[in-house]
Amino acid sequence: MYTEVRFTLNGEQKLYRGDPLRRLIDVLREDYGLTGSKEGCGEGECGACSIIKDSELVTSCILPVGAVNGCALTTIEGIRDTEKGRCIIDAYAEGGAVQCGFCIPGMVMATYVLLSKNPDPTEEEIRVGISGNICRCTGYDLIVECIKLAAKKGAALWNR
Amino acid sequence: MEQVKCFIPETLEEALRIRKETGATVLAGGSDLMVANSMGAGVTPAFRNDVMIIAGLKELKGIRTLPDGSVEIGAGTTSAEIAASPLVPELLREAASRMGAIALRNSATIGGNIGNASPKGDMPQPLILMDAEVVLTSADGERRMLVDDYIIASKKTALHDDELITKVIIPKQDFTHIFYRKVGMRRANAISKLTLSAAATIRDGVVVDFRASSGAAGPKVARSRKAEELLIGKKTSELHICKEEFLDAWNAVISPHAMPEYRRNTTRRMLAFFIDALEAGHAPGRVDISE
Repeated sequence: MYTEVRFTLNGEQKLYRGDPLRRLIDVLREDYGLTGSKEGCGEGECGACSIIKDSELVTSCILPVGAVNGCALTTIEGIRDTEKGRCIIDAYAEGGAVQCGFCIPGMVMATYVLLSKNPDPTEEEIRVGISGNICRCTGYDLIVECIKLAAKKGAALWNR
Repeated sequence: MEQVKCFIPETLEEALRIRKETGATVLAGGSDLMVANSMGAGVTPAFRNDVMIIAGLKELKGIRTLPDGSVEIGAGTTSAEIAASPLVPELLREAASRMGAIALRNSATIGGNIGNASPKGDMPQPLILMDAEVVLTSADGERRMLVDDYIIASKKTALHDDELITKVIIPKQDFTHIFYRKVGMRRANAISKLTLSAAATIRDGVVVDFRASSGAAGPKVARSRKAEELLIGKKTSELHICKEEFLDAWNAVISPHAMPEYRRNTTRRMLAFFIDALEAGHAPGRVDISE
């Protein structure tokens, strides 16, 4: 099966020609070389493959590429050099949120969506915000602290 | 294996035509079907039949209140949209808000959750309590039926090969008291071990309506109008008299397969908690176990 799917990816127009049932994570990593999004469980439960679709967090391992026709997609590569992206990444580094790092791209995407919608979240709201992102190293506490740090240091950015 | 065809219709009309011509499997959010047909990392999921992706159909999106006070939800509306909408009755919002986690709720749809007909599906349970209906549309017309009738058994529904679930319609609700509980392994990303909704309308100390529905406690959501009638018409001050009879009747309609004692005992205790709260004159609103 050969179909055309159109979407924007990190701000660029893309025309995908191929099987629309391929998983979006595979298309991102193999066709577009965007290997920041990781595959953990492959069942939409661990959050490592999280990306942003039309301002909302989604797991790219359970979306067929044919389901994003007309959508705007942003991956970790699309935010890492933006002010907001740097704010999160710097806070994670400063506070020591990262151990093995495998969950971190998804965790950063979840943080990005959380702070974009809620610039000053409570600890409970932070924990809910990353509840779909599983980390097997840190025990989450330092990640939560670093999200608080990103909210504080980037207050002007998130409230913009 | 021969490769299946995949269609991406741009309008509902086109989707209904494709469905009639091919009987293609309907994929909306993908959260059930992409996992069920997964072949692992880097490999295209292997579907047995042709597939039609309806994720982009605008006609299937949105929530609105109809003139008679009922709420109409497009089948392609996501769990996140339902959980966030003030138009949606609280029992359904609550169930939708506890499905998976944020990213899954942004993909999973109400039509898919009903169509998948899993006994553990979160949204059919309160929908059945509220006497909600599905609208099934084909190129030749549409029909409506109760969600309770649409889901026949685990993974078995009344959907015809040429039909799509297009809408869910929830009648206007006027409960004074509601109860919702999902039991899972953790607060996020937990498949339901057991769910229970209960609702009552109390007027002048009399139970004028009482309903309950049990999820993950049998091959489909369990509800018993016969058991509910044991409480309807009773004074709240006399609920203790008929409570045990009701609990026994409810216990007879659920049929949990795994861990039956746990599921039966927990269901019984939750229902007893709600009934006791009604008798104790609990203020209108949500009756919550953590109080």
